Amino acid sequence: MRRIVILILTVGATLVAQAGDGHLALRARVGYNLGATTPLGMPASVSSIDAYRLTPSVAVGVDMAMPLGARWLLAAGLRFENKAMDADITAQGYHMELRRASESIEGLFTGKVSQQVSQWMLTVPVYAVYECSPRWRLKAGPYLSLLVGRDFSGIASDGYLRQGGPTGPKIAIGDTPGTWATYDFSDEMRRVQVGLMLGADWKPMQRIGFSLDVGIGLTGIFPSDFATVEQTLYPIYGTVGVFYAID
Amino acid sequence: MKQPVKHGIVFFAFVAACGALLFSCSKEEVKQAECDILAAWVEGAEYEHLFFKASDMRVDNISSTTTEIVFTVQSVSALPTEMPLYLTLTEGATSTPASGEMQDFTQGPVTYTVTSEDGENQRRYTVAFRQPDTPVGSSYTYSFEGIDSTGLNDFAYNIFYEVGSDGERNYIWASGNEGVAILHPDWRPAQFPTRSTAEGYQGFGVSLTTQDAGALGRFMGKPIAAGNLFIGRFDVGQVILDPLKSTVFGTPVSQEPMTLRGYYKYTPGEVFTDAQSNPVEDRTDEANIYAVFFRNQDAEGQPIALYGNDVLSNPYIVKKALVASLPPTEEWATFEATFEGAEADAQVLAAMGYSMTLVFTSSKGGDDFEGAVGSTLCIDEVTVTFKNE
Repeated sequence: MRRIVILILTVGATLVAQAGDGHLALRARVGYNLGATTPLGMPASVSSIDAYRLTPSVAVGVDMAMPLGARWLLAAGLRFENKAMDADITAQGYHMELRRASESIEGLFTGKVSQQVSQWMLTVPVYAVYECSPRWRLKAGPYLSLLVGRDFSGIASDGYLRQGGPTGPKIAIGDTPGTWATYDFSDEMRRVQVGLMLGADWKPMQRIGFSLDVGIGLTGIFPSDFATVEQTLYPIYGTVGVFYAID
Repeated sequence: MKQPVKHGIVFFAFVAACGALLFSCSKEEVKQAECDILAAWVEGAEYEHLFFKASDMRVDNISSTTTEIVFTVQSVSALPTEMPLYLTLTEGATSTPASGEMQDFTQGPVTYTVTSEDGENQRRYTVAFRQPDTPVGSSYTYSFEGIDSTGLNDFAYNIFYEVGSDGERNYIWASGNEGVAILHPDWRPAQFPTRSTAEGYQGFGVSLTTQDAGALGRFMGKPIAAGNLFIGRFDVGQVILDPLKSTVFGTPVSQEPMTLRGYYKYTPGEVFTDAQSNPVEDRTDEANIYAVFFRNQDAEGQPIALYGNDVLSNPYIVKKALVASLPPTEEWATFEATFEGAEADAQVLAAMGYSMTLVFTSSKGGDDFEGAVGSTLCIDEVTVTFKNE
């Protein structure tokens, strides 16, 4: 992770230093992030996804590219974005912990889980660009995100918790405030995320184009020593965007 | 312009494909890891005469913390050496012996091992058929000398039992300790609201203290935990959803109770708080002691139990003994009350159709989470007198 951070910072600084030369092509972008903060592969404890609601996962930013060869460019950008999620799942034996101060109830939950994730962040992507044609560009490279707003919380309702494990005390959980269980692990989330971005820019018009990027986190949203959320959750988001090219 | 349009279609198809990919991950059907006995029963007209009443042939709503299932029969020696016991298990689980298999219950409890569908977990239960062991003679004194510590998931708190005429322990007493243990798996017996005390009126007694339920308790709208002790059982499953349903009162008795008396000490806590943890000035906490005698089966043969929400108001209550007041005292003092209400029916009594509960709590408003942290009620040598025919 440290190496990726150094690479991104180095390339970013190089590009900014080049900015004065006038060789840079800028693209101002607006997009929408659609995806999930999710384990890789569906865990067995998730029986079904019952609802997936759209979130204010917008992305605005700018990036600049400098030519490296005939068809190759090196680019870096700065983006302000949110990678959020609002989903309801049905869980069976889903590991969770209800915690307040030093007290906790930990066990396996079966029932409904309403999960909310919000990750407002400043992202610096650094990527190589391959120009297939004047209209098409393919992009790939790492990104670094600094989280400025974090939320990972939810409600477990309409089911039961088996404390400690499948043979532990079975405690009914209701579907109203006070009888359901809420959790909030916002403060446990990593402040820095790194990942890989793959994408394509398509510019059918002189200035305006469309983009599609897929970003996959290389690290979970929680530090690896945070064991309460059993599976490692990766931010996996696609960005559908519009850009304006300033050459 | 044709080319770009075609590319555009490809482009948005890709967007759709990515979205679908994220949420369509296939997975295997998950197998159940739980292995509980949910209900146990005996069926068949040929077995009905063994029981006092139809509702005794079934044990339903078996709590997840139960490991001993007890049926009450008229006479153990009258049991056949081969009798089938039926079980409802967690979906997919299997038991050894199997549900419906003939067993000999005349030689004591039979052990049932339940294995989960995924084969990973097992629970062991004992199933026993016993004769009722209720107070006989004109009075019975509960002395709280039968003290045990239970350790479910390493929880350790005192539980109290009476020794029956057959020498077996009857765990008729229950308390809210089991609910507290959910929050404090590492506590020792002396830390719980309900515990044994070596400074009883005679020998050991019971000390009940109203405690702060901690951060998690407050968060769940249950800011205090009153010390309580009662005849019945505690169903930990309801402790969050409907705490008043977690206290299930009563055990069958074969005689009609007349009076209740015993010894107590009481010190109210300093600051009385309401259900929202707000201090209430000019209000002093009060202890509460009462006994209830009630019909334990309705006209359709369904079992009746009293819960926290109707222990004093259920229409099946026959008579109650309410201790009028328990003034604070640092020395042992006496309390007493007379059972008032209707008389028992001799036939119903003979058929074990009545149950009785005794209830002690360090905060009268504890059910509504009102009281003063630190209020301490000590009790000992509690005597119930019965009607002499």
